[in-house]
Amino acid sequence: MLTLLEQLDKGSLWQSPGGIHPPELKQLSNQQAISRLPLAKQFVVPIPQVGEQARLLVDVGQTVLKGQVLTEGNGFIYLPVHAPTSGTVTAIKPVASNHASGLPVLSCIIDADGNDTWCDLIVSEPSALTNDEIISKIKLAGIAGMGGAAFPTHIKLNTASEIDLVIINGVECEPYITSDDRLMREHSDEILKGVEIIHRLLNPQRIIIAIEDNKPEAAEAMQQAINHSKLPANSARVTVIPTKYPSGGEKQLIQIITGKEVPSGCLPSQLGIVVQNVGTAFAIQDAIYYGKPLVERVVTLTGKNIHRPGNYWLPIGTPVSTALKLVDFSPSSDQKLIIGGPMMGYAINNAYVPILKGTNCILAPSNDEISPDSDEKACIRCGECAIACPALLLPQQLFWHAKAEEYDKAASFNLQDCIECGCCSYVCPSDIPLVEYYRIAKSALRVEAEEKVLAEQAKQRFEARLQRLEDEKLAREAKAKEAAEKRQANMKSSDKDAVAAAMARIAAKKAAQSNDVNQQTDIQNNQAVSDSVNKKSAVSAAIARAKAKKAAQATPPPSSAENNTLQQDNSIGNVAEVSMSQQDRIAAAVARAKAKKAAQHNQVITSDVVVNDSASVSTLEIDSTVNDKKAKVAAAIAKAKAKKLQQVGIANDTDGNELADVSSITKTAVASSIGSEKLVTESKTDIGSLDKKARVALAIAKAKAKKSPQGHDRTAADESSSSLPINLNTQISNGTSTSSDNEIIADAEPENVEQDKKARIAAAVAKAKAKKLQQTESSNVKSALSDISTRASQTENVDTAALDKKAKVAAAVAKAKAKKLAQQAEKKD
Amino acid sequence: MMTSIFIAVAVLTIAAIVFGIILGFAADKFKVEGNPIIDQVEALLPQTQCGQCGYPGCRPYAEAIANGDKVNKCPPGGTATMEKLAELMGVEPEPLNQEAQEAVKKVAYIREDECIGCTKCIQACPVDAILGAGKLMHTVIAKDCTGCDLCVEPCPVDCIDMLPVETTLKNWDWKLNAIPVTLVSESLEDR
Repeated sequence: MLTLLEQLDKGSLWQSPGGIHPPELKQLSNQQAISRLPLAKQFVVPIPQVGEQARLLVDVGQTVLKGQVLTEGNGFIYLPVHAPTSGTVTAIKPVASNHASGLPVLSCIIDADGNDTWCDLIVSEPSALTNDEIISKIKLAGIAGMGGAAFPTHIKLNTASEIDLVIINGVECEPYITSDDRLMREHSDEILKGVEIIHRLLNPQRIIIAIEDNKPEAAEAMQQAINHSKLPANSARVTVIPTKYPSGGEKQLIQIITGKEVPSGCLPSQLGIVVQNVGTAFAIQDAIYYGKPLVERVVTLTGKNIHRPGNYWLPIGTPVSTALKLVDFSPSSDQKLIIGGPMMGYAINNAYVPILKGTNCILAPSNDEISPDSDEKACIRCGECAIACPALLLPQQLFWHAKAEEYDKAASFNLQDCIECGCCSYVCPSDIPLVEYYRIAKSALRVEAEEKVLAEQAKQRFEARLQRLEDEKLAREAKAKEAAEKRQANMKSSDKDAVAAAMARIAAKKAAQSNDVNQQTDIQNNQAVSDSVNKKSAVSAAIARAKAKKAAQATPPPSSAENNTLQQDNSIGNVAEVSMSQQDRIAAAVARAKAKKAAQHNQVITSDVVVNDSASVSTLEIDSTVNDKKAKVAAAIAKAKAKKLQQVGIANDTDGNELADVSSITKTAVASSIGSEKLVTESKTDIGSLDKKARVALAIAKAKAKKSPQGHDRTAADESSSSLPINLNTQISNGTSTSSDNEIIADAEPENVEQDKKARIAAAVAKAKAKKLQQTESSNVKSALSDISTRASQTENVDTAALDKKAKVAAAVAKAKAKKLAQQAEKKD
Repeated sequence: MMTSIFIAVAVLTIAAIVFGIILGFAADKFKVEGNPIIDQVEALLPQTQCGQCGYPGCRPYAEAIANGDKVNKCPPGGTATMEKLAELMGVEPEPLNQEAQEAVKKVAYIREDECIGCTKCIQACPVDAILGAGKLMHTVIAKDCTGCDLCVEPCPVDCIDMLPVETTLKNWDWKLNAIPVTLVSESLEDR
């Protein structure tokens, strides 16, 4: 068993399936040497020629030299475009393309100046270049496969696969075409130089130059060239293969030379084989040795209607019509112009299309050269086409499905492996243009595949959009939520107040309801206590304990504040006397309290809190039964109260020294007394207003706690065993009019700082108390009356009857003020 | 006689139990998640997301078809799609309920001079193929446009046209311009 290489060396050949033997008709054009035609006046250079896109480097009106690069770009299969001759760019516009469709493509129109001046060419010796440099030179020279497919050569020469065999394709199996034949005959040495470069780049074990046996001269010339080439001995050989169409197809040629079949969808390089056209090898040589880009090629101009048929060097971009004119083309009526060979070529409708890198032949047949257009007849299922098919397909089945437009089914018969060689059409007795059908089906399948890709993209974009919209919606909602929370947080304190107030309201309501009862019981209890301590001592003790607890809670709140600032608007003189007397009274009250405390000690604690300059000094007494526990608690409370009173006393003392202060204090006291009275009356009548008051009191307590500069004013915790149905437990009276005077508040603040904490605690306590104390109506005496002095005097003047009314008004005013204060406090917060 | 009957019954019973177990196992093991027919239907739909079927996108229509909706509601897909859907669903093909769109694929084109930058078309585009910002000119990314037509209506200045996709060498169809490939007659050789 011989190895593949040995068989290659022996020149063994394999049979490729199918194929036909059409008339060759090559002698028409292969009798003369390749010649040059006069330079065309105008060139059409499509941009880009190979590749998806490119950027033009020239402008209209610009002068270009032959070989000058016209485009730059990138992309896998991009190749630069070069000016085919020297001249001027006169237009850049869409011009009909050299394509079966004849669709216009963007092209550079170059008017030749006739000098054909080359640009600067970089001549180099391949031995001085690295492989990469050679590859890039080949790329920059714009070399593409010259056999017709125009695939970029540098990609083929830069393959990642290990290449064992390079086949130089000189088969040229199509009828009429002789460009490769003539090139091999005349330029075998140059071709071999190109082959040497390919050999260097790919380093294959063997290089086979395949030539059909109908070109013996070419084979001879190539053998000669190999003999005096620099290629390693025995690494290259000419293999003559039998003439058969389509032996020149890449896959068919590989099969003939090696017996291997290139699998469907695979590249020959995956088998370690690279096939290059002889024309490409020549172009590589030109590019490397002379630096010439691919700007011209050999084109076979043939057909009976061309009177000087033959092979010509034609610059790429030469319009077909111009080239034909130069070779005495006489079109017949209904003249067909075929680009490429008669088997695989395509007809063009417009002759003003450029010659491209892959254009190897222009066929202008006379009417008797081509078979007359015969009508397509029905397929008789003779199977001739299947025998002729070199790709071993079933053309009749493909035709069947393609005609029915069942392209999926056609694809299932491996339509994509059809090389469109035309053998089946050629042999068809029914004159069915089978390849036609396959091309249609192929393009339909291609379009379908593209649409599928686009549909998939559209779907992804659609889903991405939905996702985005959903995300945006969520983000918006989250943001709104966050904003709402923030808003809530901003409003929190006031809300809290509102909540607390609501709670207080509820508590107050309950308290009001239960008050009477409680007080009744209280009274009873007290009476009972006074009557017989023994009997109800336990019950009363419990109650008293509870009360004491409450009282204890109630006692500390120092929530009212006293402004020590001077009240400028108060006339000192006027009030001095009054305040003095007031002070005396306060002092007296304190003294009384102390005395009581001292005397009764365990039994009665009188906390005297509110000082009025009107006769109604509300001395509130807490009567508690004699009880050890209770006594202790009471003692504690009393102590606390005494302390407080002392503070007040001190404050008052100082006030006494500072008359203005005192006056203000006393005035507030007046106000508070009015307030308390009014509250008393109101609470009797109106529970609702009490609720409100309670709320306001809370707000104010808080505000004051924040603001209070100095003293905590009288807070009276009192439990009355008196006939008064209402216990005024807490009187949060403002020492001074906070006077709704921002100035004062501002002044007060700095002093306030140290007491902040205390005040806050006090406020908290006050609040808690407000909530808890069932029997408590916390009433706030709103001060901050702008005209306290008037008020004071008024209060002094009014009799008790008038007092009620006054008190109500005052209460209303006070309420409003309290509200304001609360708001201010909020703001301050 | 009786024994053979018993044997037969016993054998059949055992066989029934065995096969029942196998079937139960298979039903659990090879359970198919979701409805595969929806994916198949969706693969056939053109994904223009145009909403002409009355559903907000191709997927919802695919789900509707899987649930028994008619297959003739997709004008962009044309008769071919309808037939494929009918075949897949095993129903009779019906003519499209709307005028089938012309075979020519179209894409939206914004006359940019007239665009006022209202972004309405951007919001309408189901595949985000329109580029632009408020008060700035918009333009269509032609390669991503599905030609669904949804952006034309919202445009307040009517500056959006649906233009047929330009035929290039890439998307050229041999059908459009069939070239008679002719053969060299053998008679020439004979002469």
